[in-house]
Amino acid sequence: MKNLKPQDMGKRTEQLVQLGKLMDLPAPYDQPGMEPPLTVPKDAWKEKHCTTLDGYVGIDTLIRPQTKAEEEQVVNSFLSGLAKIFSDDVNRNFLQPLVLSIKYCAKCNTCSEACHIFKASGGQEIYRPIFRSEVLRKIVKKHLTKSGKMLGSLVGADIDINWETIARLGELAYRCNLCRRCAQACPLGLDNGLLAREIRKIFSQEMGIAPKPLHEKGTMLQLKTGSSTGLTKPAFLDMLEFMEDDIFAKTGKKIKIPVDKKGADILLTHNAGEFMTWPDNPAAFAVLFTEAGLDWTLSSDMIGYDNVNYGLWYDDVQARRVAQEQFKVAKQLGVRRIIIGECGHAHKASAVSMDRITVGEDKIPVESFLPLLWEMVNRKVLKLDPQKNNFPVTLHDPCNVVRMMGVVKPQRQILQAICPQFREMTPHGVNNYCCGGGSGFAIMQSMNFPEFRKQVGSRMKFRQILQAFQGSMDPGTPKYICAPCSNCKGAIRDILEFYHTTEKFNIHYGGLVELVVNALVDIEKPFLEFLA
Amino acid sequence: MVNLDVNGKQIGLDEDGFMINPEEWTEEVAMALAKTEELEEMSEDHWKVVNYLRNYYTEFGIAPMVRKLCKDTGYDLKKIYELFPSGPAKGACKIAGLPKPTGCV
Repeated sequence: MKNLKPQDMGKRTEQLVQLGKLMDLPAPYDQPGMEPPLTVPKDAWKEKHCTTLDGYVGIDTLIRPQTKAEEEQVVNSFLSGLAKIFSDDVNRNFLQPLVLSIKYCAKCNTCSEACHIFKASGGQEIYRPIFRSEVLRKIVKKHLTKSGKMLGSLVGADIDINWETIARLGELAYRCNLCRRCAQACPLGLDNGLLAREIRKIFSQEMGIAPKPLHEKGTMLQLKTGSSTGLTKPAFLDMLEFMEDDIFAKTGKKIKIPVDKKGADILLTHNAGEFMTWPDNPAAFAVLFTEAGLDWTLSSDMIGYDNVNYGLWYDDVQARRVAQEQFKVAKQLGVRRIIIGECGHAHKASAVSMDRITVGEDKIPVESFLPLLWEMVNRKVLKLDPQKNNFPVTLHDPCNVVRMMGVVKPQRQILQAICPQFREMTPHGVNNYCCGGGSGFAIMQSMNFPEFRKQVGSRMKFRQILQAFQGSMDPGTPKYICAPCSNCKGAIRDILEFYHTTEKFNIHYGGLVELVVNALVDIEKPFLEFLA
Repeated sequence: MVNLDVNGKQIGLDEDGFMINPEEWTEEVAMALAKTEELEEMSEDHWKVVNYLRNYYTEFGIAPMVRKLCKDTGYDLKKIYELFPSGPAKGACKIAGLPKPTGCV
């Protein structure tokens, strides 16, 4: 649709936007044939879900109603949830930024320029952070204000509120990675990312609609089994045993991974996805913490072995439930502090958000692993040889670590100390771009959503990666993207696979602790497998 | 949801072709699932991987780490990909009747 306006969200038309020319990629991906064309949604998805936004389905549980009554029920339930997020009783934590962001936007579009999804899409109007907010604003105006009810379009309340409007808005809330780069850029300090999350909250908390990988197979599975991966205690213990053997085989070090050690100084928590998919990461932590002689432990208590909290992405109630269980585990172990491993959103969930809701006796200090790791490197507790990491390395900054938590320096100090060919991405630090996997995208695998993530969501990150390695693209030179976050690793793995970047250009990815172990003087074989 | 017809019995699959009720798995179901993965024949090597996954899943309720799978079967990842072109999770686990992986994996 040409000259798309927020009002068009209520039009009962087919797909509002058809993606076409996306942002250009740098060499060697500037050549034709380097990227498969975008696909169109299947008819069955069109019938069952909401494909009328941009053709993609993010919310696999949002089902197209069959009757007028069902339609009305969805609309009414959204409007009832909308009233609640503006209520001090229900939404006290978020009310102030919500109201300010709704009220004071000057529509200067600084946020659009900051948004990787808007830019990567080739500047599609619909992905402007303020487009989504403007739709919400019009609904608020029309439904919740006297002037809007009486004067309509004269005061900006000119939008038809029907099922299509609501469903499209729900989908649009899942075209934002909640990276909040826009909020950082806004000259008025308004937060369009927060507005996207508030929409997700209404869908989940009021309407019972959230993507399955986040809710049913996410927080619900975590509360039931202890982990969103379904990892159970016996399986976890079996894995640790295997990891100990593996560490010995790879490094010659005999390490006993401490589990459930009461009164330890540190409870180290990982994203359970690390154990399942990237076991070298928790193994590397075990090697380094043991080497440094720290008093630490893992927890085998249900929920103690998975620090994720998907509630953060879509539902306050679920976020609180998961966080409370996690803190309980630490409390029962009697540890002095919790150290969060390489999981970005666990940094935000445990150290930034939930740190504030646990007070008094329940309080346990939560820290990022990064300052501690830098201390270990800086004080030469670990004997390291940077020449073992003598290949091009760049750093991806997880948004939750830099922008949300402000931990920026230690990771670069470590890399500067142990990687002679370290180079920054542009931009980086608090100005980084999201990997495209943020806010649940990395694990939302249903229907055609991964296509949106890989070709639009992660596009800016892929561009940055290629730019960081310009001049070193020769396949004879191994290259490494250090991404200290499970979600970011998942998203980066998927783009490297999608674009065949590893096989064509020898670009690899992984965490930070693996690089540190690889630099240990006293291990014979490289720890990083692509060097072997 | 789609149904897979296995000798007249309807087996429910999710949109990515994973079994919805893993307890319905039998060797016949595995062979039918293999066809959905464009594997015409299940060799001894295939069965070794599938049975290993199945046993691990029965004991622990979850898929094993890929590296453990490789070590315990004696096949490296390259060999696993040769046997199951969609890989250990999307290929081998699917045929072994394990549910779709969840979480940040």
